[in-house]
Amino acid sequence: MSGAPFLDADRKAALEAWLTAQAGARRVTVTDDGRLSGGAISLNLGVTLEIDGGPLDGTHAAVLRTGSASGVSASLDKAEEAAVLRLAFATGATVPEPLFIGADPALLGAPFYIMRRARGVAAGFRVVKTEAPQRELARELGRQLGRIHQVRPGAPGLEFLPLPAPSAAMQCVNDYRGWMGRFADTDPVLAYGLRWLTVNAPEPGELVLCHRDYRTGNYMVENGELTAIIDWEFAGWSDPMEDLAWFCAACWRFGRYDREAGGIADRADLYAGYEETAGRTVDERAVAYWETAGYLRWATVALQQGMRHSSGTEPSLELALTGRMLPEIELDLLRHLDAVAGMWGAKP
Amino acid sequence: MINDEPDARDLVAIALRSFRETILPLVPAEQRFTALMIANALATAERELAAGASAEPALAAAVGGLLGETGDLSTLAPRLCAAIGEGRFDDDEPQAALRRVLFDLTRARMAVSNPKLLAAGR
Repeated sequence: MSGAPFLDADRKAALEAWLTAQAGARRVTVTDDGRLSGGAISLNLGVTLEIDGGPLDGTHAAVLRTGSASGVSASLDKAEEAAVLRLAFATGATVPEPLFIGADPALLGAPFYIMRRARGVAAGFRVVKTEAPQRELARELGRQLGRIHQVRPGAPGLEFLPLPAPSAAMQCVNDYRGWMGRFADTDPVLAYGLRWLTVNAPEPGELVLCHRDYRTGNYMVENGELTAIIDWEFAGWSDPMEDLAWFCAACWRFGRYDREAGGIADRADLYAGYEETAGRTVDERAVAYWETAGYLRWATVALQQGMRHSSGTEPSLELALTGRMLPEIELDLLRHLDAVAGMWGAKP
Repeated sequence: MINDEPDARDLVAIALRSFRETILPLVPAEQRFTALMIANALATAERELAAGASAEPALAAAVGGLLGETGDLSTLAPRLCAAIGEGRFDDDEPQAALRRVLFDLTRARMAVSNPKLLAAGR
């Protein structure tokens, strides 16, 4: 990441003129509050908007979110992400309200959107650092997910999200295999994971709006309470159990392996909250299937991050080191498949 | 080629030690994450240079045992991938045997990439 300010004089002027029109205001002033911590994929810039006139008249703490040029496969562009966020916000879920969506890449170099800034911390290692398990937080995150999963295919404004085929599971298997490239033919752990997902793939089932990166590190907490669910760039239609499995996967417990729901509490707490709002029960066997898929997914992301560096398109120490996380992801995958061997058995 | 002394492993090791002892304590907070990543990358490179290919014959023998073939690891690994894809390890018992060998392969790689996590039982 370069140290140069993202909002140079030209971009600031262009953005202020555009916002003035969008907000129906007399004048909008944007103050750059600096980069916020975020993933290796997106840029999150803290901004203060001073809006003079129009329905949003006043001062707003906000975040400008935009993407770097080479994103990971299947990530939404920022205008699409904002459309998903808008629908999630409409369900009453605790997500930052999107205020302005800039779909035209000419303005800032890539699509972007501006949302309200939530308070609190997201960093996983800080969120899990509590003496007692955070059972109410896990339950609330379950309730939130149940609400988000009420959005179904056909929802207006989400026509750009592709429907998986022939099933959510097999779409994932085929995507992962494609994204892995030659590694799927040379790394036997990846080959085993893909084979297991293929042999055990469930029949096509109901599809819901999945966040697909719903985990500790991607929600914000202040004084133990949820303030925002963030990082919606991988959202898509899938099996509802996928999000629950991803939340509970070992790689997202930040060292608190004893608290299987995201390092904060027990699975039972998350599941109980989910069942309160989702209108469906948690299928633990399906969650185990999707946990396998989760490790393969994380493995493909790590591979792709490493390749962004190795290919020379985006030399980055952080991306390079992410690529070298593959063995630990694979070890989690093997441990999981060992643990569920009895539950799943094998095909005769 | 002529192998000069100190060799690559030695150079990386002493570079890492100097970085940790004299530079890291002076790095301001905003650059600390990057500094720690630099130390991590150097430490991984040092372990990889130290390990060399010493573990490979045993792992190749284990993979060969699953396949009933002999060869080096870089030849056998793609063959194992193909055999897995053909369903040769779908049944319970061959699958359990496969997992045992894959655990060994993965632990050997993790001893290079993240020995602390491996030692912690994760």
